[in-house]
Amino acid sequence: MLKKVPVQKAVGTRLAHDITEIRPGEFKGAAFKKGHTVCDDDICRLQKLGKNHLYLVDLEEDEIHENQAAKILANGLAGVGIDWQDDPKEGKITLHAAIDGIISINIASLAAFNMIDEVMCATQHNHSLVKKGDLVAATRAIPLVMKRAPIERAAMIAATGEGTIAVKPVKNIKAGLIITGSEVYNGLIKDGFAPLLSKKIEDFGSQILSVEYAPDDTKLIKQAIIRCLDSGCELILLTGGMSVDPDDVTRAGIRQAGAIEMHYGTAVLPGAMFLVAYINDIPLLGVPACGLHHKITVLDLVLPRIMAGEHIGKKELAFFGHGGLCMDCKECTYPHCPFGKGV
Amino acid sequence: MESFDTLVNEAARIHGHLCPGQVIGVRMSMLGCRLIGLDEPKCHDQIKKLIVYIEMDRCAGDAVAYVTGVKLGRRSLKFADYGIMAATFINLETNIAFRIVSTEEARALAPFYAPDIAGKSAQQLEAYKLMPDSVLFRVQEVIVKLKDHDMPGPTRKKVTCARCGQVVRDHREVIIDNNPVCRPCTDDAYFSDAREITWEHMDWVPNNKVNNFNTLLNNTTIKRS
Repeated sequence: MLKKVPVQKAVGTRLAHDITEIRPGEFKGAAFKKGHTVCDDDICRLQKLGKNHLYLVDLEEDEIHENQAAKILANGLAGVGIDWQDDPKEGKITLHAAIDGIISINIASLAAFNMIDEVMCATQHNHSLVKKGDLVAATRAIPLVMKRAPIERAAMIAATGEGTIAVKPVKNIKAGLIITGSEVYNGLIKDGFAPLLSKKIEDFGSQILSVEYAPDDTKLIKQAIIRCLDSGCELILLTGGMSVDPDDVTRAGIRQAGAIEMHYGTAVLPGAMFLVAYINDIPLLGVPACGLHHKITVLDLVLPRIMAGEHIGKKELAFFGHGGLCMDCKECTYPHCPFGKGV
Repeated sequence: MESFDTLVNEAARIHGHLCPGQVIGVRMSMLGCRLIGLDEPKCHDQIKKLIVYIEMDRCAGDAVAYVTGVKLGRRSLKFADYGIMAATFINLETNIAFRIVSTEEARALAPFYAPDIAGKSAQQLEAYKLMPDSVLFRVQEVIVKLKDHDMPGPTRKKVTCARCGQVVRDHREVIIDNNPVCRPCTDDAYFSDAREITWEHMDWVPNNKVNNFNTLLNNTTIKRS
C-alpha cells in the first residue's frame, strides 16, 4: 500500500524508490537512491525535481516492491549465457551476455511474459551477435508496489523450457570450401569466392580446413563433398551452380553425395537461390552468385546460427521472409539495420 | 490419468469434433485434478470426491465433463452460466477448490506459439498444446459453500407448488406469500405460454411390436386443444 505525504513532512523517512533526475543531453539517473533517508537539505532539491509529495510504502502481505519484483522477473527470464546483478536502477534490471555468442530469444515466451499486466521486458533482436558483457535485455515491474502472484506467474512463464533469454556460444568449427564452375576450374576467370568466404568463416574464429575446386560435373562435385566430409569438415560451403542454367549441377552433386534434407531457395534478397542441405548432421550451404556482389546476404544471417549449433530447416528459411529484404543502401550499416531482424 | 493425447482424442470423439476447446478443456481438467489431488477422478473411489462448476456452455465444457467424469445427473457437474471460460474443481474430501480461468492472452499468443500453422482454429489448436499452463490459465484458490441440498445423493426435500401442484425437489421452489411456488409459475421461467397437448399414439410403450420409433417419427399428429 502506498501513502502519499508532502515532501516537507517526509524528513526522516526512507525513500521507497529511486528518484530520477533528467538533465537533457547531460544526465539521466538516480538523484536519490531507494532507501535514502530524507533530510532537511533534500527538500529543495526534491522540489526542483518536481517532487512535492513522496510515497511511503507499507507493504501488505501479498505485495512486493518493484525492486523485489525486478529480481524475480530477471531470475525467470535469464537462461544460459546470461549474467545479471541484483542491483536494480530505477526499478530496472539489465541482463548481459556472459559469453560471446548469438542471442536466443524465445519470442513466444517473451510475448506471453509481456502480456502479463505490470511487467515488461525489452530485448535486442533474436540471433544478434554479442560479445561478453553486452546488454541483451532489460526488465522491470511497472508500478512501485504490486501483488506478488502475477509477478511470480510472469517469472514462471519466462522460465519455461530453457528460459526466455539466452546467449548461445558460436563454436569454432572446421569448414571446407568447394568452389564449383568450369570457368573457374579451367582458369578462364579468377575465383573471388574463396578469399571472401574464408574471411567470413575466420571472422568467427573458425578455420578453413580445405578449399576444393570442381568443374560443373555432378560426379566430381560429389567426390569433392565426400573428401571434405572424410577430412573432418563440420561445415561445407559450396559456391556456383546454384542457378537455373543447364550447367548448374551443384545441387545434383550435393544430392548424390548423400544429402537427405535439402532446402533450395530462401525468402531473402539477396540470397533467393541459397541452399541448405545436411549429410549426417553436417550442414552444407550453397552460396549463389549474389554472395560475390553483395557485402551481406542470407549467408550472413544463416552462418552464425549454424555455428551456434542451430538446425536450419525449411521453417527457419521461410521465416527469414519478414525483414529479409536488403535495401541495398549506399553505405551498408549491417548489423545496425533491419535486414534479417524479423525472425 | 490417461495421457493428454488419449484424453484429447476421446474428448473430441465424444464432443463430435477436435477443436481448440477440447485442448483447453482437457488441459484445464488435468490441471484442476492435479491441484486438488485426484489422479483418477472417474474411478469408483474418487468419483464421489469431485464436484466441478463449469462456467461456459462451450466446447471446452464437454471436455471437462469427459476428463473428470462429472455428470449433471450425478450432481457432480454444476453449470454456472457466467459466459466465462472457467471451471472450478472441488475436492469434497479435503474441501479444497481451485477456479481455473482460461486466459484471453492465450488467444492473442497463438500466432507466437504456432507461427508455422495457417488458419486461426488450427493455429490455436496447436498453440494450446504447446503453451505452458502458466500462459493458458490463471488459477485462484476459492471457497465454495455447497449447500446440503446441492450435494450428490438422494433428494433432500420435496415440496408441492401451491399454484399448479408440481413437485419441486431440493429447495428449487420460490416462496411467495409464504407458499412454495415452482419456477414456471413465476415470471422467471425460461419458457412462456405453456399449454398442454395430446398426440397420436399416446398409448405407445417401449418394445411395441407394431410401431417402433422410426415408424412413428413421421406419423405423429399433435393435437392442440
